[in-house]
Amino acid sequence: MGMKASNAIATFFKYFVLILVGLIMIYPLLWMISATFKDNSEIFAGIGLWIRNPTLEGYQNALNNFGGSINILQAMLNTYSYVLPKVICTVVSSCVAAYGFGRFDFPGRKILFSIMLATLFLPQVVLNVPQFLLYTKFGWVNSPFYLAIWVHTAFATETYFVYQLVQFMRNVPRDLDEAAAIDGCSSFQTLYKVIVPMLMPALVSCALFQFMWSCNDFMGPLLYVQTPAKYPMSLFVKLSMDGDTGFAWNRILALSLISILPQLIVFFCAQDQFVEGISAGAVKG
Amino acid sequence: MSKAISRRDFIKVTGAVGAAGLLAACGGNSGAASSTAPASSAAAASVEAVGGLSSDPVTLTMSWWGGESRHNAYQDAIKAFSAEHSNITVNPTFAAWSGWEDTMSTKFAGGVAEDVCQINWNWLYNYSKNGQTFVDLNSTTDYLDLSQWDEAQLAACNVANAQQCVPVSMTGRIFYWNMTTFNKAGITEVPKSLDDLMAAGKTFQEKLGDDYYPLHLGAYDRMILMVFYLESKYGKDWADPTTSTLNYTADEIAEGIDFIKSLVDGHVIMSLPTYYGSNGDNAAHQSTEWITGKLAGCFEWDSSATKYQDALDEENKPGFTVGEEIKFGDYNGGFSKVSMGLAITKTCEHPAEAATLINFLLNEEAGASIMGSECGIPASKAGLAAAQAAGAVKELVAEANGKVMAFVSNKLDPLFESNDLKANGTGVYQEVFDTVDYDNKSGADVVDILLDGMDAVGYTVE
Repeated sequence: MGMKASNAIATFFKYFVLILVGLIMIYPLLWMISATFKDNSEIFAGIGLWIRNPTLEGYQNALNNFGGSINILQAMLNTYSYVLPKVICTVVSSCVAAYGFGRFDFPGRKILFSIMLATLFLPQVVLNVPQFLLYTKFGWVNSPFYLAIWVHTAFATETYFVYQLVQFMRNVPRDLDEAAAIDGCSSFQTLYKVIVPMLMPALVSCALFQFMWSCNDFMGPLLYVQTPAKYPMSLFVKLSMDGDTGFAWNRILALSLISILPQLIVFFCAQDQFVEGISAGAVKG
Repeated sequence: MSKAISRRDFIKVTGAVGAAGLLAACGGNSGAASSTAPASSAAAASVEAVGGLSSDPVTLTMSWWGGESRHNAYQDAIKAFSAEHSNITVNPTFAAWSGWEDTMSTKFAGGVAEDVCQINWNWLYNYSKNGQTFVDLNSTTDYLDLSQWDEAQLAACNVANAQQCVPVSMTGRIFYWNMTTFNKAGITEVPKSLDDLMAAGKTFQEKLGDDYYPLHLGAYDRMILMVFYLESKYGKDWADPTTSTLNYTADEIAEGIDFIKSLVDGHVIMSLPTYYGSNGDNAAHQSTEWITGKLAGCFEWDSSATKYQDALDEENKPGFTVGEEIKFGDYNGGFSKVSMGLAITKTCEHPAEAATLINFLLNEEAGASIMGSECGIPASKAGLAAAQAAGAVKELVAEANGKVMAFVSNKLDPLFESNDLKANGTGVYQEVFDTVDYDNKSGADVVDILLDGMDAVGYTVE
């Protein structure tokens, strides 16, 4: 009885703390949702969730197009039309590059790996101008297929992911590779039949990160997309933000909310798989 | 202006702009410093005119930054232009301000900027100091009527002895008052002199309480008002508009800083620590105090009138009034500046058509009536008349702009708005006025911080 009571109290406190912290974490998102129904003066008047004068103007205006050239639906389609190839290219190329560095001993491996790691410390701003000049030469600026934004990821340029996958690959015992080789697998078969399934959690996290970063990327599209009809969401959200004459925040927030919905959905779906991948690996040892 | 905030937000700015500046500096002849000659018809005669209009299909590109209504106005005007000139297609690209200068500087560096660009005034100095980026519009006078602008306005855009852009609009600072609060304090007239202002500070404190102030000035606003004060007292520009040689002595500047301090001490403006305490570095129109009328005045750009009015709550909105410029000394003081310009890049293959487009947007009735005051009150005389006739001018902004232009008498130098000086949070101007308020320092104590900072960005400080 006493045991049960103390268990109940412990559970109560656990949940209490979890709910409290959870609320604090999710509050900004809740505020954002409530603010989409407020006007500017109410938004800046306080941080409460209660809406005094609810208005749907934010959502109505979010559907406006800009001179007929771009609307929210088109902007979303545009976003995913380069985010998907980017995510796929990143995962595939990083995985192959990591396999090379992690499993094969070739001349110059160490030095090449250090050079690759060194690019981790190269900030994007330094690259902007030379990259822009290069892509201008290629004719990729303002390409209808967003070539300048995603093609480079097919060459394992996302060093961070390569590095991460190499680390994960260390935990995959080489015995498995050898077993696969004995069973007649070629190098590539070993990769996609044996190593990739073991790496799944890491690959999912790479894909997730790249997905979110690409959706949120602002400077890339701003530089390389010039036709308004091809603008992605990250540019579209900001189109009406005029610092000089002011703008309605409820519209910006409504747009932001709509634009993160697919991201949230993808995240929650992938999260299940993420957790599953980890636990599956744990049970098998 | 919130431009400052967005600029600072992107640390990238430093990189992209710096890199672009480096390339620009390498490309041009840096020895030929920026000596600005006044625009004149003589200059026009000496420049070789661009080739004539083509009758073949021509494609132009154009870029601008702005908000929704500006995007729509430009696009409608472009449609009207293409209807009139059926062989010319204009492909626009546009976005909001944030990140825009990074993008444009990269494009200028790569030589792939659009044919016609909406530019910020200081871009002339940042990206075309030797005239390497933009076409001298004196070569396009067959298509672009430069006589619609005042000599002084054109001179401001004349860099490296070339008319590198035409001003779309001019802007300057003026006082706005929330008369709802003033009436509560028993004051029915807008402040017209320094005495009125000081009296209002006292009355606000006595009748409405310590939380109420007749005016709000952020750090950058304080700097501008200080220059305004000094210019109206001494009658000379803050710095030489071409050489950026500071015209004021340390003692004079210390006096200006003390003037701002006297406003804080006289309860005219809120001390900065108090303001930051509840608002961080948000602009005043986003502060509860402004929205609810506790800060009952501001000193802002004419183009920001509607932003400050719209921010007020229902009770205070009707009281929003454009004030009068205040004369602090024997001279008028204050400056106006080119708020934005239209320029043709040297990489443009069809400058005659590009000039025709600019002329259509700014001077011709069909274009200017659509553009209205979307880019500020038109600086072109014909453009202003057309926009007014079409009822496309925001009354409040027009009133403010009219008052500013009728009053101010000084010129702005291109370094005044350097990011290192005016940036929100990290700028030298803010450091100066923060130090005054936080540490209760006098002008003489902090004037060196200002002078060192100005020296670092390129001012000649004597």
